[in-house]
Amino acid sequence: MLKSPITGNAFLAVILGCVAMAAGASQQPGPAQTAQHTAHQHNMTLDSGGVVMNSNTDVLPRDCKQFGPDYEFTVSAGTEFATDNPGTVYGFSQHEFLVEPCSRVTITLVNKDQVRHQWMIHGLPRYLYPGGMFHLEAAGGHSRTGTFIVPSDHQTYLVHCDVAQHMEKGMKGQLKVGRGSGDLWSIPGVSGNFLADAYVPEEIEWYVGLSAVAAFVLTTLLLLRKRFF
Amino acid sequence: MRTRWWLLISVLVALLCFPPQWYPKSLRLQFAQWFGVSSYRPLPESRPPAGETGEEPCPTDVLGWRDAQTIEGVEIRRSPTCVADNPHAIAAFVRGTNNVSHQTLMKSGLTPDAVVKGRDLDGDGDPDEIHIRLEVVELNGGSPELQQPVTQFAIAPGIKPGFWVFAPKHFGMDTENFQSLKARALLRLPSPVIRIEQGDQVRITLENGHYMPHTLHFHGVDHSFRDASGEGNDGVPFTSEVPVLPGQARTYDLNPRTAGTKFYHCHVQPHVHVMMGLQGLFVVEENRPNNWLQTLNIGAGHVRVPSQAVKEQFDREYDLHYMDIDSDLNNRIQRFNDPRLITESMHRRYDVTDATSDYFVLNGRSFPYTFRESLVIVRPDERIKLRVANGGSNGIALHTHGHTVTITHRDGIAVEPASRITRDVVWIATAQRLDLSLVTTNDGLNSYGSGVWLFHDHQSRGVTTDGIGPGGNISAIVYEDYLQDDGWPKTYGVNWQPYFTEAYYRRQTPVWESYAPGLFSEPRMDGWMIVRLLGFAIALGAVFSLVLVASRHPERW
Ligand SMILES: [Cu+2]
Ligand SMILES: [Cu+2]
Repeated sequence: MLKSPITGNAFLAVILGCVAMAAGASQQPGPAQTAQHTAHQHNMTLDSGGVVMNSNTDVLPRDCKQFGPDYEFTVSAGTEFATDNPGTVYGFSQHEFLVEPCSRVTITLVNKDQVRHQWMIHGLPRYLYPGGMFHLEAAGGHSRTGTFIVPSDHQTYLVHCDVAQHMEKGMKGQLKVGRGSGDLWSIPGVSGNFLADAYVPEEIEWYVGLSAVAAFVLTTLLLLRKRFF
Repeated sequence: MRTRWWLLISVLVALLCFPPQWYPKSLRLQFAQWFGVSSYRPLPESRPPAGETGEEPCPTDVLGWRDAQTIEGVEIRRSPTCVADNPHAIAAFVRGTNNVSHQTLMKSGLTPDAVVKGRDLDGDGDPDEIHIRLEVVELNGGSPELQQPVTQFAIAPGIKPGFWVFAPKHFGMDTENFQSLKARALLRLPSPVIRIEQGDQVRITLENGHYMPHTLHFHGVDHSFRDASGEGNDGVPFTSEVPVLPGQARTYDLNPRTAGTKFYHCHVQPHVHVMMGLQGLFVVEENRPNNWLQTLNIGAGHVRVPSQAVKEQFDREYDLHYMDIDSDLNNRIQRFNDPRLITESMHRRYDVTDATSDYFVLNGRSFPYTFRESLVIVRPDERIKLRVANGGSNGIALHTHGHTVTITHRDGIAVEPASRITRDVVWIATAQRLDLSLVTTNDGLNSYGSGVWLFHDHQSRGVTTDGIGPGGNISAIVYEDYLQDDGWPKTYGVNWQPYFTEAYYRRQTPVWESYAPGLFSEPRMDGWMIVRLLGFAIALGAVFSLVLVASRHPERW
């Protein structure tokens, strides 16, 4: 009995078009890549257990004078982490990551499912991370570990799994360096969906319309009954 | 002033504004007898053409994917069409992703276990243990934050219905890059053609990374109902097995004893899932020595590494997969993000018995995109093998201009040579496959000679895209002397530019404007007629209101 696609705020949505990229990618415009994502431009390992791309354990971003603290996160991924967030199918054990500027971040992605999952972050400096990304991919039942060093800006970075529909269905997170630059949309447990589904009967438009007509007629009768009738 | 005068004025205005088109014809003839015919007023001028430039018909092949090349010892034929598949992926499909160099694998975009080829069991020089891993990918899906579909795959300019497809196991992003919303080349409609050899021990693992349950069902491919370990092997949720839930995987075992052109599809809620695109051709090739097969043909079309058996009899081979699409079903995945709401909308609200198809695709594309990748390119005096499958909900009356075709196999089973029929329209029912032999000998029967000859469903809707023509599954048999170097055919008719604009398929472009703009452009709107109609409407409203007032308040009359 549920399901009307009410998408209010359409005008706002037009203005905000590419929200997903707002915080992550816009800071490093870079040259537009037109060709297919060519793997060899990245520093990357690939085997049947997964992928580690653009791992960096020792080169400090140019804007950093010295290393911040080291962080280690073990992130589990899979359907079991979606159960706390109704309406999602996939999830991470943790959807928000808070680190200090210039810190070294080590991520271990543990895949609890039997299908591929990724932990991918965008918008890092392109001179250190080709394409501005650091990327872990673990095949079903495998885990992968990699390290990257964040710049000094207080910035919020998009974290997601880029397998089709995994981000949309719950595998979205954010990494805040320092104070960050606000929250991204639709982070499970953190922020709301920009285009929210409406959990109301499909016939809601009729109910709303009929109610409005009834209210109009009643009001008119009440106000005009002396003059005309 | 008195109400009666206002009433009189309103009636007069209403009569004056009443458009001549609405008078009875006989009354107008009577008026003409009394007052003569209407005076001349110039008709509205034509609007200037919008001049939308549109897309490039044939994008440049920057990466050299069309070229004939040898990768990992695999001789890959030149792709004559404008857009070709990734040859590194083709080489990996032939050798096995476990048998190619790291560099080839990186360029293929496939994981090392996507197509694993093992031992040669019959000692005839080719591997007979094949393990394929398929994923389920959503194209043109919804998103909780973007106003447009994600992981995009356009079947024609601006047309992006939602799809689910099987795709080979791959690594990295599902889009071309982070700035792009376009799906990468491996992820597309239709699901890939699977090619294995008769007698192969085939394992196919479905890694369901989608958000709904799915299965694999092998239609016409020899398989046991349950596999050796007793697991369901037929893909039917209510007879053989519980479907593969999101995040899970299951392996199916096949050991086909008979060859032929078969089919595979998901069997969960098949009236929905098959129509969403979870269907593909399954070709079992006859056993031959040194038969290294291209295990997957991405997006169907030209077979760049044909089997030994096909090479014995034919010069070229094409896989042609037809589908029709009801956008009312396919676009439901874009209307919600919560999988519970999507599921309800697709499986309970949608009623397939009320369905009408509006898109008609060949190898996942409609005209004009079919001309980029699904032309049948030939030379004179060749024999061409066409494997045609109809995965749509309607039959197809496939017609070839300038040629007849001979049906050699139906549903993968050979037709006795004496009973073979040759014709220029072949009917292909839903889920049927026909193997057609096309002979390009200019004898007035097989072929009428060189040219650019269309082939298409001859049912009218099939040559349209939501009712706009030319569209649908139109493609062409093109002789090489009618082909440019870039793979685009030499045509002698009208300018194709309008067909490469989104506006054309949004019904915004007059169909003949590009070649007869003065004659067939859109006329400008008649502003005076609008003023007149509005004047009539207002005067009529005033008449009713004045009558009401006068009847309630006779003293104002
Ligand atoms: Cu994932
Ligand atoms: Cu399914």
